[in-house]
Amino acid sequence: MSEPAKKEQEKVVDQGIDVGIARLTEDKIKHTINSVIKVETGARLKAYVETCIHCGLCSEACHYYLSQGNDPKFSPVGKVKQTMWEMLKKKGKVSPEFMRRAVEIAHTECNLCKRCAQYCPFGIDIAYIMTVVRRIIHKLGITPLYIQDTAHSHSVTMNQMWVKDDEWPDTLQWQEEEAQAEIPTLRIPLEKEGADIMYSVIAPEPKFQAQLIYQAAVIMDVAGVNWTMPATPGWDNSDMAMFTGDNELMGRLKRSHFETAARLKVKKIVMGECGHAFRSVYDMGNRWLGWKMPPIPIVHAIEFYYELLKAGKIKIAKKYATPVTLHDPCNVVRGGGLEEKARYVAHAICEEVIEMHPNREHNYCCCAGGGVINCGPPYKMKRIKGNKVKADQLFRAKTDGAETLITPCHNCHSGLHDIVTHYEIGMDIKFFGDIIYEAMEKPGAIDG
Amino acid sequence: MHDVYNFVSGPLVWVAFIVFIAGSLYRVISLIMLVNKKEKFIFDYMSFKYSLRSIIRWSIPFATVNWRKHPVLTVVTFAFHICLIVAPLFILAHSVLIDESWNISWWSFSDTIGDIMTVIVIAGSIFFLIRRVVLPEVKFVTSASDYVILAIVAAPFITGFIAYHQWFAYPNMMIFHIISGEIMLMAIPFTRLRHMLLSPFTRAYMGSEFGGVRHSKDW
Amino acid sequence: MKKRTIFIAILLFFSVFVFMAAYSQEDIKFVDNSAFAKPERAPSLFAHDEHNENAELEECSECHHVYDEDGKKIEDESSEDQMCSDCHAEKASGSKLALMKAFHTNCKGCHVKEKKGPVMCGECHVNNPAAGK
Repeated sequence: MSEPAKKEQEKVVDQGIDVGIARLTEDKIKHTINSVIKVETGARLKAYVETCIHCGLCSEACHYYLSQGNDPKFSPVGKVKQTMWEMLKKKGKVSPEFMRRAVEIAHTECNLCKRCAQYCPFGIDIAYIMTVVRRIIHKLGITPLYIQDTAHSHSVTMNQMWVKDDEWPDTLQWQEEEAQAEIPTLRIPLEKEGADIMYSVIAPEPKFQAQLIYQAAVIMDVAGVNWTMPATPGWDNSDMAMFTGDNELMGRLKRSHFETAARLKVKKIVMGECGHAFRSVYDMGNRWLGWKMPPIPIVHAIEFYYELLKAGKIKIAKKYATPVTLHDPCNVVRGGGLEEKARYVAHAICEEVIEMHPNREHNYCCCAGGGVINCGPPYKMKRIKGNKVKADQLFRAKTDGAETLITPCHNCHSGLHDIVTHYEIGMDIKFFGDIIYEAMEKPGAIDG
Repeated sequence: MHDVYNFVSGPLVWVAFIVFIAGSLYRVISLIMLVNKKEKFIFDYMSFKYSLRSIIRWSIPFATVNWRKHPVLTVVTFAFHICLIVAPLFILAHSVLIDESWNISWWSFSDTIGDIMTVIVIAGSIFFLIRRVVLPEVKFVTSASDYVILAIVAAPFITGFIAYHQWFAYPNMMIFHIISGEIMLMAIPFTRLRHMLLSPFTRAYMGSEFGGVRHSKDW
Repeated sequence: MKKRTIFIAILLFFSVFVFMAAYSQEDIKFVDNSAFAKPERAPSLFAHDEHNENAELEECSECHHVYDEDGKKIEDESSEDQMCSDCHAEKASGSKLALMKAFHTNCKGCHVKEKKGPVMCGECHVNNPAAGK
């Protein structure tokens, strides 16, 4: 009985893929694959493919592989075999059906978390290879519908969530008013030229998590930071184009973001608790634009909170009492080395921090990042089933006493929410900002 | 037999070394030129310090998480690769031939040590073969070429081992030994045995990215 | 008591026989490798008379050579009354080759030149437990 049910579950309807695939010809596939490989790739792809000795040692790095009962189809090298190796071997002569499977693999079975790069003895960057596959998918127009929609939104509005130009300052003013009920002197300074800091967020914050902007404003206000937010497009630091392989669009987005900061003449950009956006501004987008490192220093929220706490600019009135455990997001830890700063912050604001294992740069992925959660509901169960190993890891942390899960990343937050709910782990999930806001001294507050 | 011996131990050795060295240089230089042509930014990210940090870390058994996760494989692969490179260089008989040919008194170890190292390489090859056949995650990504390169590597050691012990068909076995060694050398730049040449570069680049940009550890 | 005497006598008889067989000048089967402190390989198989007959060697100095101080071979002199190791020590000194290299050069060198006779390691150094490697 379970077999048909399983099959049904695997058969996913995704109009982005289905319609796109129907339009493909073998000729177009061949031409596209070969032109991407020939024109856009070079020594890296060549060296990675030619050096790989097919040893399979990357397998245990992957949460999909571990969660799917060590199914070799889900091992990092297994995914390369099913995509790039075939494309190279057949010189691009692959079928539309092959490409459908390639979309599934590259977009919904790999989070580009780069944990496998730490497990390959040769340091082969499999996430990069998957990015090349996604680039081919983008050029063939067969990207999954939901994530493609966010990319369209980026293209039209320069933000990920179709937030209109006037809705943005409107939301900020609304949150300012809300916060003024608590701290009457609080402002969310818009368009303040020459401020020290431009604070940027991802579009889901104004769209449906506006309280995060409220909290950030309170933290900024109490810490006495000279900050501002732009009133124009360019405020959104998120980047789904990076994950769909639409590099040109990624370039437009990052240019707009950096140029907005430059126009406001700020010293640095502080960004909210988001991982993929950090990857985009710190690693991928800046490189596409020709900047070795970001043209304006990027400070992730973890580092920002660390600096504020260390300098005593915010003080903790009463530490968060519930024991917490800390999830290390790939993009800011494996991709930014913020693990110790995150621990400093956690210990500064919480009574008890219980480590989950593995942790730091070896932490298991949330299975939401890399654009996987953005491929939408059709793949939700696959994403949850594909990360049983995370559930086990969280269960162990819970057994050790942790009741709250801190995840300083939006994607991780949403992905882990699904994991915690489905596997009935029973943990609260919070951002650092949530806890800091709750635990900090607020001298100017009406009832504080 | 004299003519065959003279050919395989004379001109063919030269051919093998020229193909190996020239082929290897070609591989490495063409890779660097390709970087220069299409991914010049890589030069900017390469860091000597972090390259070395990564290469050294991965060259020490049990120094990385993945080495520790696979203790048996770690012991085998280190023993295999060390013996594979060291044994041919310092086997007594090779040293004698080098001395006779070029008047260089080459260092060598005793036949017993050479014999043990040869057995380690053969045992390592068998281990890798079994791994390929038995472990699903390895089998899934294994192609015919993987068996071929394993055979290419094992052949000089198996034939050398049999010839040394003079178990059967001595003169022929010796000729096979020499030829298979030459095939192995020539195969390095043209098969995935070239991981010997390229892996320091991939390792160095990943080490540089992790150290210089990501401020994280790649092990 | 009587039994024991007979036993010792038999033992003595056989040891002398074995000793004679091994050191008989008349019947050389192996190159004497006693000068090597720790020989790695079995002594080289070498039947002196048979070899010379097959090789049609007339002059002893063909192999039992004498070199002068400048490293030139002295044509008319031969050295069959000496051990190779009398001149060639285990380690090379000056123009004198090391003992092993001297053997290899003398034997294999000639075989290669004449395209006759064994040239591969195991063709001379035949593993044979009886040879007492």
